[in-house]
Amino acid sequence: MRDFWQWMFSPSRRGPMLIAPALIMLFVMNIFPLMWSFGLSFFHYKASSIRPPTFAGLYYYEKVLTDPVVWERMQTTALIVAMSVLLQLVIGFALAMMFEKKFPLRREILMLVLTPMMLSFVAVGVFFKLFYEPTFGLLSQAYSYFSGEPLTLLATQWGAVWGIVIADAWMWSPFVMLLVLAGLVSVPDYLYEAAEVDRASKWKRFTTVTFPYVRGLLLLALLFRTIETFKIFDVVYLITNGGPGTSTETIAVYVYRVAFQFFKTSQSSALSYILLFIVIVLTNLYLYFVKKRGEEG
Amino acid sequence: MKSKFSIASALAATVVAGALTVASAPAVSKDIVLNMAGPDWGPTRFLQEYFNKTYKAKSGNNVKLVFDFIPWPSFYDRVAASLTSGEKKYQMIISDSQWIGTFIEGGHFMKLNKYIDADPELQAIMKDIHPAMTENYSTYPHKSKNYYGFPQFPDTKVTWFRNDLFCHDGERADFKAKFNQVLPCSYDEWKNTDWDVWANVGKFFRRDKGAKLGDGVAEHDFYGVAYQAGKVGDFSSMQILAFIWQHGGDIWDEANAPNAQAEGVVNSAAAVKGFQHYLDILKYAPPVHKTGQMGIFAIQELFMQGKVGAIIDWAGVAPPALDPKVSKFADKTGFAMTPGLRKSDGSIDRTDNIGGQPFVLTTWNSEEVTKEALEVVKWWMSKDVQIEFSKNGGEPGLMSVMNMPEYNDFLPWNRAHAELLQYQKDVWHTPEMFEMLTQQQEEFDKAITGQKTAKEAMDAIAKFQQELLTEVGKIK
Repeated sequence: MRDFWQWMFSPSRRGPMLIAPALIMLFVMNIFPLMWSFGLSFFHYKASSIRPPTFAGLYYYEKVLTDPVVWERMQTTALIVAMSVLLQLVIGFALAMMFEKKFPLRREILMLVLTPMMLSFVAVGVFFKLFYEPTFGLLSQAYSYFSGEPLTLLATQWGAVWGIVIADAWMWSPFVMLLVLAGLVSVPDYLYEAAEVDRASKWKRFTTVTFPYVRGLLLLALLFRTIETFKIFDVVYLITNGGPGTSTETIAVYVYRVAFQFFKTSQSSALSYILLFIVIVLTNLYLYFVKKRGEEG
Repeated sequence: MKSKFSIASALAATVVAGALTVASAPAVSKDIVLNMAGPDWGPTRFLQEYFNKTYKAKSGNNVKLVFDFIPWPSFYDRVAASLTSGEKKYQMIISDSQWIGTFIEGGHFMKLNKYIDADPELQAIMKDIHPAMTENYSTYPHKSKNYYGFPQFPDTKVTWFRNDLFCHDGERADFKAKFNQVLPCSYDEWKNTDWDVWANVGKFFRRDKGAKLGDGVAEHDFYGVAYQAGKVGDFSSMQILAFIWQHGGDIWDEANAPNAQAEGVVNSAAAVKGFQHYLDILKYAPPVHKTGQMGIFAIQELFMQGKVGAIIDWAGVAPPALDPKVSKFADKTGFAMTPGLRKSDGSIDRTDNIGGQPFVLTTWNSEEVTKEALEVVKWWMSKDVQIEFSKNGGEPGLMSVMNMPEYNDFLPWNRAHAELLQYQKDVWHTPEMFEMLTQQQEEFDKAITGQKTAKEAMDAIAKFQQELLTEVGKIK
């Protein structure tokens, strides 16, 4: 027994022994469920049923890829991603430009601007749901003060999409701002001084000095936010629940319904792996740009 | 001699008393814990508190009821996750009636026939339970003789209204002058209220901020009526189905599977007419209805904040309306029967969808645990406990309690609730219910938010159900 402990805690094994608990946890909590659900996507199986799984091959992958509902939800997701990420980049960039300059109470205001991204999704979702509420909501109250009519923003498809986009952009624009601000403060002052000596216009200074420094970070922000917004669930579920009708039901909300409301476990697993594949492609792009920026640095 | 006799007598008495004690108690008193999942609200909180206060197991075992109080919005998710994960955590579960098919087919809910057949006390309880509850809370397949549950909280929708407006002489006179109808105030006037009167109430009480309202002026835009129009859960369906049934339409009849059809039934002319009727009246509701987010809690809040004159909502969520801490009109709130469709003979059809929940036992319970759980059921369904529950905001499952003369005075909505029970039906209990309900809610929502007509929505629902049920062999 003593020999065993000596063997186990010999200096050459100390490293592996120290990381073993973390690896075991990772395997039990992440890798095993991933492999298990991947396996389930090739079987006929419903979590709510006592019937044992039977082999289905690629049936569910074919079913998902030929399902018009899936493509409809993909389009909705793409619309929300495009609008929200664009808005985040514009607002985030504008905020970064503002906070690059020194002004009174800058630090305090910066702290306030960063607050939304520190809040929980549920808090943000509930807050915006109440904010848009036509009878009690602040937005509707303000609107009716001028128009005399309540505002029912979430009653139409475009209104509901905007409602989600605004909430998501409100929460995540500060994140884009942080990244861009990091780029802006790294621009050496002498470049601006040289541009001033050359009598470069403000626009010229922005395009030739400022923007090249933040371009890489902006691209990172774009990719990171695209990946995250692609998976958007909480805010949509809380603000519109996918409505009106199904006009704001994103692919993540649809996966949830298929998996946990309809209990089509195999189909939802297949759909999840297709989404995972898309996210992996986007993540690799992200890592590629991170690496490229590192090399530039 | 006398003392010797006394000592001997005392010893004998001690031995006899000891023997009697041993005979009347089990050899070893066991600790039995019944874990129960339930929604977090008054009726379940009462069950837990009253159990802790009064329950003594007849077996002599130390039986504990441990509630897992789950907030309503995540109730289904948490119960479903527990059952499908196989953790076998709960011995008893408060289930929504529509779920029972899913979880019976999944092997989670226990069939109770053999226990009922062997126990006269349970048989007496079953006889005393209102037939609407037995059929809708207990049977699977729906309307069969297979029993799975007992009523924990039976619920119906009732009308909540503002006494200060509906019983206001000036408003009543104006309403009479405008519509030549009686603005309902008394219980009997409400009992004679049909959808036409309800719609007129909606028109009549639509007041802009600052307009005269009762004895004062409207502090904000005011609306006459509201009922459920929400995409979440089953909100819209629970109100729309009442209109469909009252107009002679129907849902897919699972009791007649596989012969019953969805297409031609679900989208029949009567069903479309019923849905259109619902939509026609909905326009008088507060503007939140246009977003498809006017669920049971939204209309409750609108009513308690004084933004709407009358609503149709569950009796189960009515207690806060009488609480002055949360309701601005707690002392001015009345309850009545729901409106319905006037028939050619002058009677009113109030067919509606039942609410409330049964409690069920789970299949992994040992015989001993099952026995103790059924003892808890018998205790809960006993007349005294049901009366106490009724006095504390609950609704009884027993007809013998509802038939008591003093029952109507326990709570202000009791009379309406008891009278409405005869009209209650339920949606499907089949495991496909979630898919059917979700798609139906989406289609109803499209019509509510103006994306589709009533006919287009009903056609889409019928087509979806026909395909789904044919695929699983429930329609041939």
